[in-house]
Amino acid sequence: MDRRSTIAALLGKNRQTKGQSSSKLMMQEAPVVLSGLEPYSGAWGFDQAAHLLRRATFGPKYAQFKEGETLGLQALLDKLFAVELPEEGPIYSGFLPVRNGTTAVDDPYLNVGDPWAVKINGVWKVGQIDRTDQASFQLINLYRRLSLRSWKMERMLKEGSSLLETMTLFWNNHFVTADINEATIEFRYITTLQENALGNFRELTKRVTLDPAMLLYLNGNENTNRAPNENYARELFELFAIGKGPLVGPGDYTNYTELDIQEAAKVLTGWRVRRQLPDTNGLVDFENENISVFQVGAHDRTVKNFSPRFNNASITNGDDQEYKALIDMIFAQAECARFIARKLYRWFVYYMIDDTIEQNVIEPMAQLIIDNDYEIAPALRALFGSQHFFDHINQGPMIKNPIDFVASTLRPFGFEERDPQNFVQKQIYYLNAASYFDDMQMVYFAPPDVAGWKAYYQEPSFYRTWINSSTLIARSKFTNQLAMGVNDNGRPSQYRLNVLGFVAGLDDPMDVNLMLDEFVKILYPRALSQEQKDYLKGVLLPGLPDYEWPLEYGQYLANPDDADLRDAVETKLRTLVNVMLSLPEFYLS
Amino acid sequence: MKRRDFLKAGSASAISLPVLLNGLNLSILPKAGLLNFLNLDTDKVLVLIQLQGGNDGLNTVIPLTEYDKLANLRSNIIIPENQVLKLNDDVGLHPSMTGMRSLWDNGKLSLIHSAGYPNQNRSHFRSTDIWTSASSAEEFESRGWLGRYFDTQYTDYPEGYPNADAPDPIAITMGYILSETCQGVSANYSLSITDPFGLSPLLQGQGSDTPDEPYGWELEFLRQAIASTNAYSDIIKNAANLGANMVTYPDGNNLAQQLQNVALLISGGLKTKVFVCSLGGFDTHSAQVNNGDTTQGVHANLLEQLSSAISAFQEDLKLQGLEERVVGMTFSEFGRQIASNFSDGTDHGTAAPMFVFGSCIGEPINGDNPEIPVTPENQEGVAMQNDFRNIYGSILQDWFGVPSEEIKNLIFEDYQHMNIVKDCATPTSVKNTVEETLEISAYPNPFHSQVVLKFTTKAERVQLAIFGSLGQKVETVFDRSLPAGEHEIRHDGSMLPAGNYYYRLQIGEQQITKLVVKM
Repeated sequence: MDRRSTIAALLGKNRQTKGQSSSKLMMQEAPVVLSGLEPYSGAWGFDQAAHLLRRATFGPKYAQFKEGETLGLQALLDKLFAVELPEEGPIYSGFLPVRNGTTAVDDPYLNVGDPWAVKINGVWKVGQIDRTDQASFQLINLYRRLSLRSWKMERMLKEGSSLLETMTLFWNNHFVTADINEATIEFRYITTLQENALGNFRELTKRVTLDPAMLLYLNGNENTNRAPNENYARELFELFAIGKGPLVGPGDYTNYTELDIQEAAKVLTGWRVRRQLPDTNGLVDFENENISVFQVGAHDRTVKNFSPRFNNASITNGDDQEYKALIDMIFAQAECARFIARKLYRWFVYYMIDDTIEQNVIEPMAQLIIDNDYEIAPALRALFGSQHFFDHINQGPMIKNPIDFVASTLRPFGFEERDPQNFVQKQIYYLNAASYFDDMQMVYFAPPDVAGWKAYYQEPSFYRTWINSSTLIARSKFTNQLAMGVNDNGRPSQYRLNVLGFVAGLDDPMDVNLMLDEFVKILYPRALSQEQKDYLKGVLLPGLPDYEWPLEYGQYLANPDDADLRDAVETKLRTLVNVMLSLPEFYLS
Repeated sequence: MKRRDFLKAGSASAISLPVLLNGLNLSILPKAGLLNFLNLDTDKVLVLIQLQGGNDGLNTVIPLTEYDKLANLRSNIIIPENQVLKLNDDVGLHPSMTGMRSLWDNGKLSLIHSAGYPNQNRSHFRSTDIWTSASSAEEFESRGWLGRYFDTQYTDYPEGYPNADAPDPIAITMGYILSETCQGVSANYSLSITDPFGLSPLLQGQGSDTPDEPYGWELEFLRQAIASTNAYSDIIKNAANLGANMVTYPDGNNLAQQLQNVALLISGGLKTKVFVCSLGGFDTHSAQVNNGDTTQGVHANLLEQLSSAISAFQEDLKLQGLEERVVGMTFSEFGRQIASNFSDGTDHGTAAPMFVFGSCIGEPINGDNPEIPVTPENQEGVAMQNDFRNIYGSILQDWFGVPSEEIKNLIFEDYQHMNIVKDCATPTSVKNTVEETLEISAYPNPFHSQVVLKFTTKAERVQLAIFGSLGQKVETVFDRSLPAGEHEIRHDGSMLPAGNYYYRLQIGEQQITKLVVKM
């Protein structure tokens, strides 16, 4: 008997078996899911509509679930894919939030309430910024960056049943840029992603390659024939277009090699970000503000020779068109389609991709992407309409990212913009909302590094990287504050969930059990156990019989102006909602 | 399964069993308690500092013996020779590292030359995974190197923790993203702390049975995370309240803030084994130095932060009498290329130096200055000399008392002990060998077809391998035991493409690399 067995015997159990089988926390082998990309043929109901909307949009509301249920799968997909692009950008509100309130900002070419970016005849134009006065420039730039955040948050929170903002965020995680610090460049980048959100992966890659934000972020604007800088070229292969395979030889990552990185860097030499050109009219085209320009003298005009991974392809000098040849060469490899299919899968379905899923879902998605010349929408639509997507096993296991967590708290319960014409208040409102997901470690415009948020690539933890003692506390503080309407310091918080309005919108608010069932199906991806429902009922009606609820609630409905009756009901509901939003089930989608 | 195979095998000694069992009711022992006891509680603390982005080793630890060649190859970023903070005649530190230089003067800083692994991967993400998991470049290991060790110590974690035997967090990441070094089979062993006073209890709600499928696993994970946060929050706050800092840490230095909290928590009595800190920004592709003054700039600022944070931390520990319990180590996913680029920066490379700090460190300098070629190949990095898995293993062995056989199982089957740390508390356990310097000669160099390699051994295993300029292992030339004495090995390199190669010789605990040029 070896020593291990001795100890096991002394403990009266076989530790080896126990250790392997006892814990559900282990990163287990997933059960094999056979369903694939074939069209969903099962029943359509509330659960299916809710699952699709939870994954495809931010924090869907009860009304959206019901609408989706009525529409049916195809009509709901039509709605999700019918995106409406914005025609106006962020608003100039005349203020800048500072620590103790606000300070006025003068944007000389605009009136308060004007957007500082508008689309005219299909071309975005932005309000000019005079750079001769640095102090004024800094102030204007700062207010614009903040208003851009607020604008983005407002769009996400108001969007409803559309894929546009979800896919824009997806691309923001895929084609990461950060540290740009200049409003017009950030805005331009976001609109590039937005306008191509459901478009062509290869063409978007071309757009991004020359985008000023990307040229600045990955040193493309320093990449010259004399001084090649391979930073962007490396990430183009590894993270943006084709992905890295195993290292199988010196500098050979299966899908590409170190040589390819060097040669690609040469192809991309010569691009520069040119900052603002002075103009009149108060508006300037993007064409004149922070644009990418090609400097032929800084371009490497030699022939670039690629590795056998690209069939020893050569790219001859093509000056400012040459980058297209490079990207077309990379995208001639089918691996690019698999690469983006996996990324979409991890964003919308679940993080584990085993051989069966690779074969039954990823491969057919990749084939659709190739068949459609790298258009993304057909493959994505097939995924959302597939047997695999609606497989019960895929309903519920996704840990919500912070933006989704915030949206799924705020949206179903309703939130008020007190005075839509009060731009100051409105922007503060949305900036505050954005600051919540900052605290939970997801900053829009600023993924932690060029690979994006760890939840979508870091093995083995993936979505679990959102969760740790610090972020749990941030999430819990947020729901607690919103539900109870009380700040950390015990004072009433500025924002509260509209719990009475929420209950009024339910089908059966007078029956406590039916009401709780409705709460559950709106807030959670799966049913709760009877014990859990009893526990929740105990939170709402501690030690009281069920019929007390319709009595209390009915009295309030009959006397809506009676503050005492209203407060009694509202406080109970707030406590219930706070507990419900604290359940780990609420963290799942 | 690896981790189960040797589960505490070495630690369950025949002597300690009866003592432990006598008078103890087994049923009150926590699940992992018995084995945990046997492994002897150590109060040793390891502080890891991850330098994110790939630190430029050649501008951090400057090999003065190679200075002229470097001056040629990185003229736009090299530190003027007279500004280098010399550690001895051969090697010195970046001028902004005055704090670490004074640790060196007091025998509290050591350096490990050219740490890396064969077949260097130059992706930040993959290479970080390799460094945090201590896998080889070819294998994928989902657990961290410390997580694998903890898996042998804390059965069933996190279920049933904290408990009487493991009352404190096993590890702490000073930041929002848990360090992959501590990823275990079921959970990450580290708790995320940003503000030790800021933890507050979370609502736990009502549990339920969970299905054995992804939904159930993620739910269990969340429940456990909430339970652990609650279980540890008071423990952390107590330690923070009991602890103290006795020096002023530098302002505006995020690493210093992290280390200040580490010192506070250790001082407050927390028995956490590992703290992981990080400093980002080392991916210096451009503007690594200021134009006109190469001693200033982004990299200088980073090294200044690193140096001043570590020296303040060490002083704090010293004043609190905690020095002998704590050892620290830096690591980064790779070094940078030998030649600088024209953007006053450096691109992704191969091996880089590491620092170890504390009052219980071993050899002051591990290994030799990297040998810099006159003409590096395209993208050439610093050749690997010390396999980082030997460094990790030696820390596990000498600091946490893990037997070397287990380390072979846990970390690296070719594990070779290095003299990185020593146990100050029990000086007799320190091996007091006088090590002769390993030498190797290669002739002819440059060569056309054959190279003759000469070296001397004491009857030991000899490993000789040849590496290419990107860090790739080209061939194992030789791997077996040789009798003591001088040896000559003839290696046929006629099939190799022309270029720079590095023979790496490892004999016992010593290793050396030798640059040869194939014509």
